[in-house]
Amino acid sequence: MTIPQGKGLIVLAAAIVVVNGFFPAVWILLTSLKSEAELVSKPITWWPHDPTLANYVQAFTDQPLLRYLGNSFAVAVLSTILSLFVASLAAYAIARLNLRHRRLILTCIVASSMFPLVTLLVPIFQTMRALNLLNTYTALVLPYTVLNLPVCTLVLVSFFQSIPKDLENAAMIDGCTRLGALWRVVVPLAAPGVFTAGILAFVNAWDEFLLALSLNASASMRTLPVGITLYQGEFTFPWPIISAALVVAIVPVAVLIAVFQERVVGGLTQGGPEGLTARGA
Amino acid sequence: MAGRTMIERLRDPSEKSLGVLLLAPAFLLLLLIVVYPIATLIFNSFFDMRLSGGSGGFKFVGVENYLLVLKDPDFWNATGNTVLITLVTVPGALVVGLGLALLANLPFKRQWPVRLALLLPWALPLAFAGLIFAWFFHTEYGVVNDVVRRVWPGSEPTMWLLRPNWAFAAICLTIVWKTSSFMALILLAGLQMIPKSLYEAAEVDGASRWQQFWQITIPMLMPSIIVALIFRTITALQTFDIPYTMTKGGPGNATETLAMLIHKTTIDYLDVGYGSTLAVFMFLLSLVVTGVYLKRIGRNA
Repeated sequence: MTIPQGKGLIVLAAAIVVVNGFFPAVWILLTSLKSEAELVSKPITWWPHDPTLANYVQAFTDQPLLRYLGNSFAVAVLSTILSLFVASLAAYAIARLNLRHRRLILTCIVASSMFPLVTLLVPIFQTMRALNLLNTYTALVLPYTVLNLPVCTLVLVSFFQSIPKDLENAAMIDGCTRLGALWRVVVPLAAPGVFTAGILAFVNAWDEFLLALSLNASASMRTLPVGITLYQGEFTFPWPIISAALVVAIVPVAVLIAVFQERVVGGLTQGGPEGLTARGA
Repeated sequence: MAGRTMIERLRDPSEKSLGVLLLAPAFLLLLLIVVYPIATLIFNSFFDMRLSGGSGGFKFVGVENYLLVLKDPDFWNATGNTVLITLVTVPGALVVGLGLALLANLPFKRQWPVRLALLLPWALPLAFAGLIFAWFFHTEYGVVNDVVRRVWPGSEPTMWLLRPNWAFAAICLTIVWKTSSFMALILLAGLQMIPKSLYEAAEVDGASRWQQFWQITIPMLMPSIIVALIFRTITALQTFDIPYTMTKGGPGNATETLAMLIHKTTIDYLDVGYGSTLAVFMFLLSLVVTGVYLKRIGRNA
């Protein structure tokens, strides 16, 4: 549509989008600064009267929050590296080699993301249980790698296709082997694409809940979403502490996407909607 | 070619063998984490298989599990909830997402706050969205009831998460909030690809803004809308995180989805045979939607 006139309208539009996007995070931040006493006073306050950081201290001491953070990082980083490695090999083959059935190969990889995770959960749980891998990083890293394979492959295929083939041919004429040309010419040029795919994969792995809840439920192996959801107070659900823990858990990813937002948006459009791999709700 | 050693082949392989080499890891992983599990799932669905002690066993029962599922009121309840959530939240997220995308497409001086406002809900774990909104809908201390009380003094606080219909509504609202940013990001990308010249031409022809919206924006956006809808539908059928963190399926099993029933049966009760059969039904349900999607990719190829 054409641009509606008036600066006020544009500011209003921005305000609506910004409030819609930020209000839950802001509310949880405000809640995390309130004391237990203020939280249960009625009518409820919006702005904390007497801001306190006590909830943050308690969030780290009541539960092994640092351990959850570490688990989430380990699982997300490991699976991201693994899926980038596997996906870049596959994406190069699809984008560059003269293979028959290239479209079919890509479709197979993408279609794998269409299977409901919960149907894979039952047999994966059984297998991991039989192999004694429940409550290990492996139990999550392997499925997350596969979960991210479609996104990474799609983003990387489109990046590889955007690199002129002549560059590679020139390297080969100069005496590089095919793999040498891949390593010396294509990979460095595709680095931005690899990075973008990496962010998407990291966020996906960081957010995953169902598998983490089912496969790694023991207290020391929980990831952040599982750890915080299973946060139990002695008597009630400790909302101020949970809010503090949520803030701690949201900050790393919020910073990541704030810093690299252009790449993230670019990756989403490059990989198409598949790039978002919006999981269940 | 025939006389080349293994080393030579590795150093400068033919297109085909290089292709096989490069694709092998991806397909091995898919085999291990997708194909093998699906095969196991179908196999197990014909067995009475409980991993819990005492009643443990492994007995071939033919299609008995399937007959039990079809007679199971919990299965129909969960399927009904899942389908209803899909029917409410997919169009809901489309409408809200389209609105957000249209607003975000305006020419702002600073792009980043708006872009971040769309990315943040997308990046937020579903489980966190569920927890945060459960706090919003808290009967005593939730901000929703506080706003209602301010607008409408003296009204009784709604017990959002404790009454079946209200709980269902709260869950649907949360899902729409969480997933509309996904819609908005896709539709925004689509909006930005519509050539400005189309609108300029329409302007010259004297088309109103309303006409431009229906005659240009919507038709040009249709491919993005359809892909977004299919994806959202596939994921809506798998709804788990948000109801799990908001109500655990309660009150009773009023908000239990199919994914939650499968999770409960398998992980909590360790009834793998029956859980597998439930999962096969889930698989068939999503296969229909996937089929539609793959047909589309095939057409666009």
